[in-house]
Amino acid sequence: MKLLTKTTLYIATLSLFLFFFMGIIFFQVLKNMSISELNRELSRTKEVVVDVFPHFLGGQLKGLPGIDSISIKLAWPGMEASDQFGDTLMLEPMTNQYMTFRYIQFRSEHGNVAYAIKLFKSTTPADKLVEQVTLMMTMMVILFLAGIFFLNRFIFANLWKDFFGALEKLKQFDTVKEPLKLGDPDVEEFIELNRVLERMSLRLCSDYRELREYTDHTTHELQTPLAVIKTKTELLMQSTNLGSKEMQLLQSINTSTNHLSRLNSTLALITRIENQQFTQKLKINLKELLDKHLGMLHELVELRNIVVERRCEGKKQFITMDNGLADILVTNLLNNAIVHNVEGGKIIVEVADGALCISNNGPALSFNEQDLFKRFVRDTKRTGNFGLGLSLVKKICDYYGFRISYTYEMDLHLFRIIFPK
Amino acid sequence: MHILIVEDELPLMESMVSYLEMEGFRCEQATSYHAGLCSLDKHAYICMLIDLNLPDGEGLDLVRLARQNKTSSGIIIVSARNALEERVKGLSLGADDYLVKPFHLSELVARIQSVARRTRTQGEEILKFGVIRVMPEERTCYVNERQVDLTRKEHDLLLYMMANRNRVITKESIADYLWGEYGGGYGSYDFVYTHLKNLKRKLQDAGSPDYVQNIYGVGYKFTLE
Repeated sequence: MKLLTKTTLYIATLSLFLFFFMGIIFFQVLKNMSISELNRELSRTKEVVVDVFPHFLGGQLKGLPGIDSISIKLAWPGMEASDQFGDTLMLEPMTNQYMTFRYIQFRSEHGNVAYAIKLFKSTTPADKLVEQVTLMMTMMVILFLAGIFFLNRFIFANLWKDFFGALEKLKQFDTVKEPLKLGDPDVEEFIELNRVLERMSLRLCSDYRELREYTDHTTHELQTPLAVIKTKTELLMQSTNLGSKEMQLLQSINTSTNHLSRLNSTLALITRIENQQFTQKLKINLKELLDKHLGMLHELVELRNIVVERRCEGKKQFITMDNGLADILVTNLLNNAIVHNVEGGKIIVEVADGALCISNNGPALSFNEQDLFKRFVRDTKRTGNFGLGLSLVKKICDYYGFRISYTYEMDLHLFRIIFPK
Repeated sequence: MHILIVEDELPLMESMVSYLEMEGFRCEQATSYHAGLCSLDKHAYICMLIDLNLPDGEGLDLVRLARQNKTSSGIIIVSARNALEERVKGLSLGADDYLVKPFHLSELVARIQSVARRTRTQGEEILKFGVIRVMPEERTCYVNERQVDLTRKEHDLLLYMMANRNRVITKESIADYLWGEYGGGYGSYDFVYTHLKNLKRKLQDAGSPDYVQNIYGVGYKFTLE
């Protein structure tokens, strides 16, 4: 949920809750006030009625100010002597509707006769007032909420502008590029936030650069000692007084050194790709490139009785990239298809519109499919390769924005590279 | 048969010198840019091996200077730098080959001989080994006057073995020589074996004795014995 939505929701919930209870209390208080006001008026009228009661009996007075109706009955036994207030419904002759009335009932003696007198007063005007006031209150609440809503939007559009700007820049941040430059907002917290972010990005960039330089230097510096070991073992092998056991030992050293140097040069290559040191861009005919490498691998393919099926007739597909990297990309994919193939298996090379597909027979992966392009992930049963070929392929694809995918269906491993238009 | 080696890493220099002297070359050693500069005209080298990263200078400048002097020597750059641009730069300055460290000594010898062949001025060269005669330029091979039909890789393999006669040659070095850096992988050792088997069969069918000694688990030796 967005920050704006969430804040608005919180404010709306709280204000609705508050306004609801405040409204109920306010309504009650108002109601009580209007009732007690009616009671007071009725009591006052009662004084008058008691004073002028004889005239009533004489029938001289038809109405009294301040009340709407009066009823006089003989008091009944057991009637309360004190004043009684209450509400009742009565038919209003004018509108022919039942309306609420407030009444006071009291006992009055005249001559030796006790009367029960009831004075009525309509509550309608008071109710109207309460209604009006409540309506006004509700209007105010709505206006207030609308106000809050727009204020919130305004705050977000203005106050938080710098925050969202920084967020946008942060999203585009890449350790390969420059460290973040976030500018100076006029809110102190945001200035602090920006400073912290800038410091962090600076740190990230420099760490990344140092790591790259470190790998770069290490891989480079390793080559010379490796060359020394390699040449010394080779020299030692030429000694005539070595037994076969010693030769085997030397060969082990030699094999491991070769392994190490291959590993090292591949890592150096990956580092150079990560360092974006390949800037050359050439238009390469994919079909020619494939033909060249298939020709070079021809003997290796035959050795394992593998059938290569080409499906690129008549299609001209060009890719734009460094030609050295193009060679590496294709040889690694083809090598992979040969090495992980079965005796007498098949390789299908297909150049389709904007895509290159290379598929080969072979047993299913012995590891998780998601790890296929990771470094040093390989089939543990096989030795001699170190699981860098495909991660190199992935690096090259990422570098040029090619999309590479892998599927395994019907005994066929399929690598598909989709080139951007 | 002089070779100039410009290399600042002494143990590596020693290895190269020992191996090359076994092959009958005479080595002029230079451990810095300036020493290399002084030695440029000392002999008529058949080949110069030049490292690019020197403590007091840039190997590429030596290549340039050597070519400006119109030397006819072959030049092989031996460097730990492996970028394509470096290769292109080195070759465009006049180097004949570019060998990336770490390398096999047997490969170094094969490359030196190949470069020496290319820079040789007088006529077609014929390489002989026992009853085998190879004309590298024409890519033809004879056993006792009988022509043997070899594939390109078999031909390269034969030249490689001949360049490193009487030496133990590892499978890896053959694979690297025939395949280059990114090719092969572990599958190529089978490939070396198959190629060698085919080559031996073709030579023996033509009447040549088996010159290839198998050194179990290590590699091979091409020898008359």
